[in-house]
Amino acid sequence: MDKLIYTAMSGANRSMLSQQVHANNLANVNTTGFRADYERAHSYAVGGDGFSTRHIAVPMGVGSKFSPGVLEHTGNELDVGIRGEGLLAVQVNGQERYTRAGSMHIDEQGILMLGQFPVLDMDGQQIEIPDYRSISITEQGRVSVVPDSGGEVLLEVATLKRVKPETANLVKDAEGFFRPRTAAASLPADDTVAVASGFLEASNVNPVEEMVAILTTSRQFELQVKMMKTAEELSQASTRLIRPA
Amino acid sequence: MQGTLFVSQTGLTAQDAKMTAISNNLANVNTIAFKKDRMVFNDLFYQKQFQAGAQMDSQNQRPNGLQIGTGVQVIGTQKMFVQGTALTTGAETDASIIGKGFFQIEMPDGTTAYSRDGQFHVNSDGMLVNASGLPLIPQITIPENATGISIGTDGTVSAVVAGSAEPEELGNIMLASFINPGGLEPIGGNLFIETQGSGAPNEGVPGEDYFGIIKQGTLEGANVNVAQEMVDMIATQRAYEMNAKVMTAADEMLQTLNRML
Repeated sequence: MDKLIYTAMSGANRSMLSQQVHANNLANVNTTGFRADYERAHSYAVGGDGFSTRHIAVPMGVGSKFSPGVLEHTGNELDVGIRGEGLLAVQVNGQERYTRAGSMHIDEQGILMLGQFPVLDMDGQQIEIPDYRSISITEQGRVSVVPDSGGEVLLEVATLKRVKPETANLVKDAEGFFRPRTAAASLPADDTVAVASGFLEASNVNPVEEMVAILTTSRQFELQVKMMKTAEELSQASTRLIRPA
Repeated sequence: MQGTLFVSQTGLTAQDAKMTAISNNLANVNTIAFKKDRMVFNDLFYQKQFQAGAQMDSQNQRPNGLQIGTGVQVIGTQKMFVQGTALTTGAETDASIIGKGFFQIEMPDGTTAYSRDGQFHVNSDGMLVNASGLPLIPQITIPENATGISIGTDGTVSAVVAGSAEPEELGNIMLASFINPGGLEPIGGNLFIETQGSGAPNEGVPGEDYFGIIKQGTLEGANVNVAQEMVDMIATQRAYEMNAKVMTAADEMLQTLNRML
């Protein structure tokens, strides 16, 4: 059988994976702090006999786009959006992970949480918030409260750990949080990352771009299936030619 | 089968859930002390197709892994306990809380529910009850011959009784507060009940600590911002349409495969 069918198949396969990546981006068009994923493929020469005409498409690493999303005003003082580059540190299954989705809350033990994971302070520790009358978070991530006991005196509780790594070195883990590509335990804190309390960053998915990508991959897929069909026809033709009369 | 179909399905489900929350917020735009819901979305787990560093052949390694997202997940709703607008009614049995506290309401089964709705009534026994007739805790009984009721900012309820110049003190309204009010479970009727997530209630005197003060003659309106909800509604509707379009595209790909081969 002609190898054409396998090259066409690798292309069709790539189109399906690519479409899933774009579908995932679109499904997360309203997810706070979501970073859209890239999809790309790499041409890979298949060795063997004959001319070196066979190159199959191998889907490659999905990086994420770090273009900023819109900061939307929510008025909730425990929502933080990150201005410019940077990420917040949270503890996921005992390890430090990073995210741009800053919708925090305080759990029943008074721990500052992001979803079901504790938010970390500059020393990589969980943050415990005492009973308070009001809470505020400054641009530098300092969390202060007016405690329920002591008048109007602001009590500084902790500073949110923010990091600013090279975004090219970040990968998403299975939970959707970012981690360094190398196995480094944790990234150093960076005090220059500014946060905005009362804001949340929207997803940075560009819906038009994703829609166009979906439609393009659909058509590419059709072309690749057509190539498979052609390969089948060619094969049938040669079978007919050499069939004994 | 085509993973895209299932990914776009999660997108449709999430946008649908968000639309339900928005319509509930809008439906309650005139409900006293209603606290709006916010949908919380997360990306679902990522499937690892190839590990970074895996061997592509005997000499070459993959510089990057390949992991593919599987869609979006509705984590839950979050009640937003932002203070609602203050409505002045002038009614002497109306009270609103400015601050974090909750009124305590006795349920028919003896348990305590919590509410920000201070639209009280006097029942046939003279007791202060909420709109559904459930009594306030601690119970406050208004004498039959009372000519005027006043509620102080610290929750002291007193009444002027006919034939007496001195107002008579009837009791104190106590408030409860929670470390994580977002974890309270709404049970309808403007009431919330304690859950594991909210933590145990702390009872206290209005005006002291962080409970907030009571304002007689006012009510707390819903904290729904109509313009924001409308904008969210439009954005959600478009996101739904786009996810539906992805589903069609994935379906057409499968059709092509079936038709051509």
